[in-house]
Amino acid sequence: MPSTPRDEIPPGTLEMLILKTLAAQRELHGFEIAEAIERRSGDVLRVEEGSLYPALQRMLIKGWLIGEWGRTAGNRRARYYRLTPGGRKQMDAEVEAYRRVSVAIDRVLRPA
Amino acid sequence: MDWLRELARRIAYLIRRDRYASDLDEEMRLHLELREERLREQGHAPDAARYAARRRFGNRAHLQQRSRDMWGLNWLDDAATDVRFALRRLRHRLGFALATIVVAALGIGATTAVFSAIDAALLRPLPFARPAELVTLTNVSIPFDPGGQRLPEGRHFANLNDAAAMRDVFSGVGGFAAGGLNLTDPARPRRVRVGVVTASFFSTLGVGPQIGRVFNDAEAHPGGANSVVLSDATWRGTFGGRDVVGTSIDLSGTRYTIVGVMEPGFNFPNESELWIPLTVPVTFATFAPFRGFLPSRTFARLAAGMTVAAAGARLLDTWRRLAGPPDHSGHSNLESMIDEVRTTGAVVPLQQNLVGKTERALVILMGATALLLLIACANVANLLLSDAASRRREVALREVLGASRGRIVRQLLAESVLLSFAGAALGVAFAPAVLHVLRSMMPADLAGVAPAELDLRVLGFATGLALATGLVFGLWPALGTARTNAAETIKSGASGGATAAGLGATRRALVTAELALTVMLLVGSGLMLRSLQRVLSQPLGMDPERVGTLEISFRPGASRADKLPKLHAILARLDAGPGIHGAAVVNDVPLRGGGGISLSIEVDGAPKPTSVDEMRFVRNLATTGGYFATMGIPLLRGRTFTASDWGLARQVSAINMAMAKQFWPGSEALGRTFRFVGGAPITVVGIVGDVRERTLERDVAPQMYFSIDRNAPDNVAIVARGTLPPGVLLERLTEAVHAVDPSQAVYNVRMMEDVIATSLAPRRTNTALIAIFGALALVLSAFGVYAVVSFSVTRRTREFGIRTALGATGRHIADLVGREMAWIVGLGLALGLGGAWALSRVMASLLYGVEVHDVATFVIVPLVLIIPAAVATMVPARKAMNVDPTEVMRAE
Repeated sequence: MPSTPRDEIPPGTLEMLILKTLAAQRELHGFEIAEAIERRSGDVLRVEEGSLYPALQRMLIKGWLIGEWGRTAGNRRARYYRLTPGGRKQMDAEVEAYRRVSVAIDRVLRPA
Repeated sequence: MDWLRELARRIAYLIRRDRYASDLDEEMRLHLELREERLREQGHAPDAARYAARRRFGNRAHLQQRSRDMWGLNWLDDAATDVRFALRRLRHRLGFALATIVVAALGIGATTAVFSAIDAALLRPLPFARPAELVTLTNVSIPFDPGGQRLPEGRHFANLNDAAAMRDVFSGVGGFAAGGLNLTDPARPRRVRVGVVTASFFSTLGVGPQIGRVFNDAEAHPGGANSVVLSDATWRGTFGGRDVVGTSIDLSGTRYTIVGVMEPGFNFPNESELWIPLTVPVTFATFAPFRGFLPSRTFARLAAGMTVAAAGARLLDTWRRLAGPPDHSGHSNLESMIDEVRTTGAVVPLQQNLVGKTERALVILMGATALLLLIACANVANLLLSDAASRRREVALREVLGASRGRIVRQLLAESVLLSFAGAALGVAFAPAVLHVLRSMMPADLAGVAPAELDLRVLGFATGLALATGLVFGLWPALGTARTNAAETIKSGASGGATAAGLGATRRALVTAELALTVMLLVGSGLMLRSLQRVLSQPLGMDPERVGTLEISFRPGASRADKLPKLHAILARLDAGPGIHGAAVVNDVPLRGGGGISLSIEVDGAPKPTSVDEMRFVRNLATTGGYFATMGIPLLRGRTFTASDWGLARQVSAINMAMAKQFWPGSEALGRTFRFVGGAPITVVGIVGDVRERTLERDVAPQMYFSIDRNAPDNVAIVARGTLPPGVLLERLTEAVHAVDPSQAVYNVRMMEDVIATSLAPRRTNTALIAIFGALALVLSAFGVYAVVSFSVTRRTREFGIRTALGATGRHIADLVGREMAWIVGLGLALGLGGAWALSRVMASLLYGVEVHDVATFVIVPLVLIIPAAVATMVPARKAMNVDPTEVMRAE
């Protein structure tokens, strides 16, 4: 059982993380997305797993994702999410905005 | 176009939401299962793994809700669900729902109808240009030219010409009167409503003809050409819209030339069908076709910048200037007239003047309606509160189960809105019926000026009030508790929790207020009913049963030789018929309303009047000798007329008691003589009973009867008493007239009892309406009392069960319930009686023969209220008496 402290995902960034994860992995279902985020963050970021689903619903509405039902390795029905071109554009925009903000924050935090 | 695609997706979701929901559910389930497996693989025990998976996932129901909310448009879906759910809940409590709807409907319907009628009468402006400038001038008469007759010199009254001379105050001054004439052209004869108006009438009102012209100055002077202006409706209806200007028509035997047709819609005053000139000065000839007299009104348009008050002050100055120094007699006619002018206001807005006496009745009706609306709202509130105990538990439960607060509010909202709208719909459905009844009691004058229509603003207001009541009392109690402590509320179970006591207090306050308002309405109803009873118990002075009457008008100026043989022939035919016990002719049937004339007399041996102020007037009636027997008027002393009176040199009269007492106080009037000013002596040969003549509510004026043979009037009524059924009797009357003269128009063919009923109609309607309001209020408050008691009994079932188990008898329990209610009823009564005592003064002008603080009414009303309140208490109290302790314990 991992005992390293885990941080909650900063608010507002969950969607960006989902987009980024899907951009790298092409097609994932919900559980895989949660695991991928945790893994890619070096197990530092923990997704409050359930909150993934309202976010996914919102992104479906926005047309950033499409969901298609398929089968898992264990032969269970699961909804696989994929990025749309619109989603890719949104991701770029969000990453860009995030970079700007984090650079700015970084500057503030840098010792004078 | 992104938003459009987004909308499409949302709609697609809405349509297939069940599928989406199950997809989401499946997704989440899979997630939990996979997490659980993963945790087990990491070495967790199966149970611990399941628990940890759930904890990491969060509140699934809540997340599902949030996911669904993402799709938006849910409100539409939710609204439908809410309404469905509310309907289902309401169906389960059908009694509650129906009661609430009916109560709300009563309030909304009655308020809307009454207010609409008042609006038409009082608030909506007259349909004339700048109606606020139009005023009537109190006691300002139209100058009179008595022709050859000389009147005693008197001091000067302000008249129409004096007002017209005040050009800086009034930009126009006119006069009008309303009457009826026989129109004999072009088809069969019929009565038409005629406006008799000065030449300035049209220009002052600001209306004009669509064809031709209105009267010119020459036509409006005595001796001018007879001209007539038609209303648009008459022109189109009777004359087919043909080119009629310049042609002439026959009005009661006189030819009038049509000079113009008014604009469509104009029919002032009194729904006039045509207008003829009112000459200035007025002569005997002006009113000759109208039984010799028509009450006329003088009105004016205020000059620019002139206010009603300023104009009034100026006109009063004119009155004083013309009157000169006060009379030595102190209180002469002129002084009392100026007094009246001062108190009524010398200048009164035309609209206010037209509404006249009805105004007070309408305002009081409006007050009564407002009270009823308040009572209805209190009742709706009470009903909703009675439901609150069960509702608050449900709300708390749902909140604990994760329903969002907004969702719960919407749910409760749906229910209140449904109830209020159902009530409003029902109220709207019955408002027109109430309005119809109200309209029938409004004076024709007004109905013609501004037709009453259902007022949408008021409908909105009343519905809004019902809605607000529904919202406040539907939401507040349920939410109030839920906020404090949901768990407590659920645990405390049937008793409804500690705050139920607070609710109870609110409900008791509402019922107390309801009872107090009801008492006020009942006192109002009581006073009106007692007045009506007093009016009805007034001696009529005649026996109207089985008496039929009709009226005929001869051509003005028809000679006596023309009229008398006809009248006698008609009477002879009637007398000869089977089933008729007596027939007679009279110039004015008692209580017919309008018409009638009083003449000034001098009593021989008493000082003669020296001025107009001192003249004394007596109602002048012309009859055949059989009139008194036919009408059932008692002959007290002396005799009535006989055939032998005709041709005698001396003139004779029968007088009523009132005249005998007024003119010969304390001495025998029989055999004494009086005379018209400058006329021959008239001997009193008989004294007859007083007959109510103008209205049932006025004291009987002095009356003198002359033989119709001496001076046959142009307008007469024929009366006949018989054992025939009313329809047959009236037919026989009409037949008798037509047998003698087939071209003679007859009108007002009716039974004497109908004449009386018509004269009583306004009072009867007012009384009926207020009494109905009182009765409704009574039913509503009894209902309110019942609701409160049964609520309290339900809440205290456990307590009663325990008390019974500890040995309390049913009586004790009933006492317990009864005592609580006795306080409420007592307080409501006290408040209501106090309020009524303070307010009943406003009704003074509507009452007859009853004090505003009539003791009997103030004693009876509490009794009327206590009985239904007691019954409403007893029914649920019996339930409390029969509480079975074992059952209560088991339920716990």
